[in-house]
Amino acid sequence: MIKKNKTFIFFIALMALTACDGMFDYSPYAIDFSEENRNVNQKNIDKLLLREPDDTLTIAFTGDTHRFFDQTDEFVKKANQNPAIDFVIHVGDMADFGLPKQYTWGNSYLLKLNFPYFVVVGNHDLVGNGLTAYNEMFGALNFSFIYDSLKFIFINTNGLEFKFNGKVPDVQWLDAQLRPNTDFSKAVVIFHVPPMDRDFDALLEEAFQKSLAQNNNVLFTVHGHLHGHEIYKPYEDSITYVNVYGVENMKFNLITIVNNQFDVDTVAF
Amino acid sequence: MWTQWHFKIALIISLVYLFHPTKTYAQYSKKNDSANSARFLPDYVKLQFAGGIGLLSAGVGYSFFKEKLEVSYFYGYVPKGVSIDDLHSVSLQVTAKFLRFKVNPDIEIVPLNVGWFIHHTFGNEYWITLPPHYPDEYYWWSPGRNSGIFLGGEIKTKLLSNKTPASGTAFYARMGTRGLYIESKIGNSSIPFRDIIEFGFGVAFYR
Repeated sequence: MIKKNKTFIFFIALMALTACDGMFDYSPYAIDFSEENRNVNQKNIDKLLLREPDDTLTIAFTGDTHRFFDQTDEFVKKANQNPAIDFVIHVGDMADFGLPKQYTWGNSYLLKLNFPYFVVVGNHDLVGNGLTAYNEMFGALNFSFIYDSLKFIFINTNGLEFKFNGKVPDVQWLDAQLRPNTDFSKAVVIFHVPPMDRDFDALLEEAFQKSLAQNNNVLFTVHGHLHGHEIYKPYEDSITYVNVYGVENMKFNLITIVNNQFDVDTVAF
Repeated sequence: MWTQWHFKIALIISLVYLFHPTKTYAQYSKKNDSANSARFLPDYVKLQFAGGIGLLSAGVGYSFFKEKLEVSYFYGYVPKGVSIDDLHSVSLQVTAKFLRFKVNPDIEIVPLNVGWFIHHTFGNEYWITLPPHYPDEYYWWSPGRNSGIFLGGEIKTKLLSNKTPASGTAFYARMGTRGLYIESKIGNSSIPFRDIIEFGFGVAFYR
């Protein structure tokens, strides 16, 4: 019996050791991301700023990837075939149930991109402890960078997820980001939920729209959430809104910018 | 509704302990299962590592139909450091034990245990019914309560039976998954099957 006792203890110890490999799950909500899954947006900003801009800026847009993991894989393969792409933007809803595991899965595909990439937060990404997972994996919900004198502004517009508390989107932050200065000529604003949607805080719709229009420096805005593709001008300010394809359509949008003129294309895969 | 069940079962178990003649603990009544005082004591206590229900979880439960069916209730804990925030959860498990081989008088192998569990994580963000600020049926799942299945095996021994009231000690291992992971895997050959499996192991002390 004593011999067997030792065998069991050895068995348990061995299993405890293998636990270090991340083989065991403690909870669907445990967040313990590896280094490549942390602070992803800032790392990609750093990576992008090392690139030398040329006269044409090419950006690939995907989003609403939810549980369309195989399609996301196909998107990455297709995008990687186009060396003209400067960077990739995911317009949100990468983690369908907001699960840390889905964050890790989603990012595992994007990590294979040959280009820098950025992910704006979607409503699905915020379910459960998704907010913490997003902060850990991608960073702040609102962020921006300037590349080739264009400012790219990513803003959380998922008002419903914050019970329409009057703080999402953060219009004051957006005002400050769009205030003209010598560092940038035009801005591109990216968000998940468009302002006319029921999931956008209706009390902030007008302020949001005014903020975008007041300096006359927004080149266009891009959003997801609706899964389809549309180029439209919903307000009198004539700012163009580009709704980009959800990945399940097996299409993505490619936007090229030359001399502050932009062109929207669709690529099938 | 299921949460209510969790609480009810936890409540019943705690009440049984509270209002029970306290002598039971001292009587070493393991050889006298039919004794009135021992009737409501759990048939076993378990301590489990991982398996998706906590870094460590402790459970109690009852056996039915000559130990062919077990109903267990676990409390699981994930400490801060292992995860960003600490996590408290409870789970209710039903296990069917289909096979049983006696290797010798001291050792029994129970190799085919199939189980179902429902897991409830505590915290406002882990809601069970859709909070009222959402339109109806906005999200179809609930982060606070989800269920899964598992497959496991057990080796039952007489370890500790001489020194304690326990009649025996069992070592078990299990692999499981849950509905939310299966939903994620469906249609996605690029997600490794291994990624949706929750491994765990533990020890059970039988009364």
